[in-house]
Amino acid sequence: MSGAEIQKVFLILLDYLVPTLKIFGFTLLYSIPLGMIVALLKMCRFKPVSWLTNLYILVMRGTPLMLQIIVVFYAVPMLRQQEGLPSFLMHFLEKINIQDENFMFNAVLVAFVLNYAAYFAEIFRGGIEAIPKGQYEAAASLSFTKTQTFFRIILPQVVKRVVPASANEVITLIKDTSLANVVAYEEITLKAKQQMQNYSSLTPLFIAGAFYFVLAMILTVIASAVEKKLNYYK
Amino acid sequence: MLKRILTTAVAVTMLAVSAGCGSKEDSDAKSTASGEDNSLQAVMDSGKFVLGLDATFKPMGYTDENDEIVGFDIDVAEEVCKRMGVELVKQPINWDTKEEDLNAGRIDCIWNGMSVNPSRAESMNLSDPYMKNEMVFVVPADSDAKGMADLSDKKIGVQNGSTAQTILEESEIGGTCSVQALATNIEALQQMELGIVDAVFLDSIVAGYEITSSGKDYVILPDGLQEEEYAIGFRKNDQKLRDEVQKILGEMKADGTLGEISTEWFGSDVTTVK
Repeated sequence: MSGAEIQKVFLILLDYLVPTLKIFGFTLLYSIPLGMIVALLKMCRFKPVSWLTNLYILVMRGTPLMLQIIVVFYAVPMLRQQEGLPSFLMHFLEKINIQDENFMFNAVLVAFVLNYAAYFAEIFRGGIEAIPKGQYEAAASLSFTKTQTFFRIILPQVVKRVVPASANEVITLIKDTSLANVVAYEEITLKAKQQMQNYSSLTPLFIAGAFYFVLAMILTVIASAVEKKLNYYK
Repeated sequence: MLKRILTTAVAVTMLAVSAGCGSKEDSDAKSTASGEDNSLQAVMDSGKFVLGLDATFKPMGYTDENDEIVGFDIDVAEEVCKRMGVELVKQPINWDTKEEDLNAGRIDCIWNGMSVNPSRAESMNLSDPYMKNEMVFVVPADSDAKGMADLSDKKIGVQNGSTAQTILEESEIGGTCSVQALATNIEALQQMELGIVDAVFLDSIVAGYEITSSGKDYVILPDGLQEEEYAIGFRKNDQKLRDEVQKILGEMKADGTLGEISTEWFGSDVTTVK
């Protein structure tokens, strides 16, 4: 491919950086709080809740994200064709327009959020469980309430501990956004694949690779800056 | 405890709701599983005919260097839509899940150089074939394979999910050679150039186009495996829509428009519409 052609492909891919970043940003926005909730549910002393959470994490980590995207995407139209569903659910499904652009985005987003929440939950649980018992005892002796203990003493320490592992997930996420092309969500990888056919060349894929590399590099820099900032006791 | 459960429930519901914030409009009419056939009416009412395509199949329907979807099929579909008085919507899909997209009502038809085979004829309402195609082997010019018989112990690349893959695997030669299923024909050709596979099995239309456009030193072996035909796929129940498109194609063939479009892309009228 000539320089001018590469530039042309680059500009097309640049246009589709926004849909890629949209998946990335919204997934983080929803999956981190959801992961927090899941982590707490998993540590719940009422066993059935803990078991259900375990099952959820097992399914989410045990099946490919690509499959999960397909399942979420086709769940609505497939359920709609089922008979004997409760009417309120049917009514709800009827309202969804699957030809709508937003539907595709939302379906992909739900799959990503559910998947990443499971991974984040395990990271957060590890972080919470790593806090020594003495911290709780000290808090209790200073007559902190349970809520106060969690938010003022435990959580700040957890945040510090989970940053390196979370950064790992975040960097994986930017590359995982490429999986959205499985339902033809228009992002960098799908466009690169189309241009690859157009020019009968693999070069567009390498250009797409460069995009992910640069994004991952930026995230790495941010992650180490955050780590440094949180390292206030050393 | 209860609070936690409630919080999760609320969070999950919010996600589910945000998934469904599409507008009502024309979604339900087209995908009713039973009842009468209002497929044509639904398209006319919405003013949109949604064509599903892989957008990587050159020259039938693909994305060009300006990120526009073009191709022979697209030009024909544009003309059909013009005569129907509706707007053509080109919806890229994943070829592996095309049947799901069609049945789910995401698209109204699959129109992307789709080869006719028994399972597709079973799962879709196909138009009459509009073009003939042959499945051929492409090898590097310096390959010692001069015919199909020389390929019996070789590694052959095909596009995953294509009819080429099915035909090859079911053929006599498919039992002895090793078949490498790749995501796209381009990857298959690239692998052949690198020596990972010895030959690529694909549509003659694509093969011819790729060889001329890339200028690479490949040859098409003289003996292909099977003649096949391209058709447009509609939903099983959408008889009226299928018949309307078929009727317009016939008119286009009769008044020479179809021949003109074909000449533009292939140098002659290669269509087989009656």
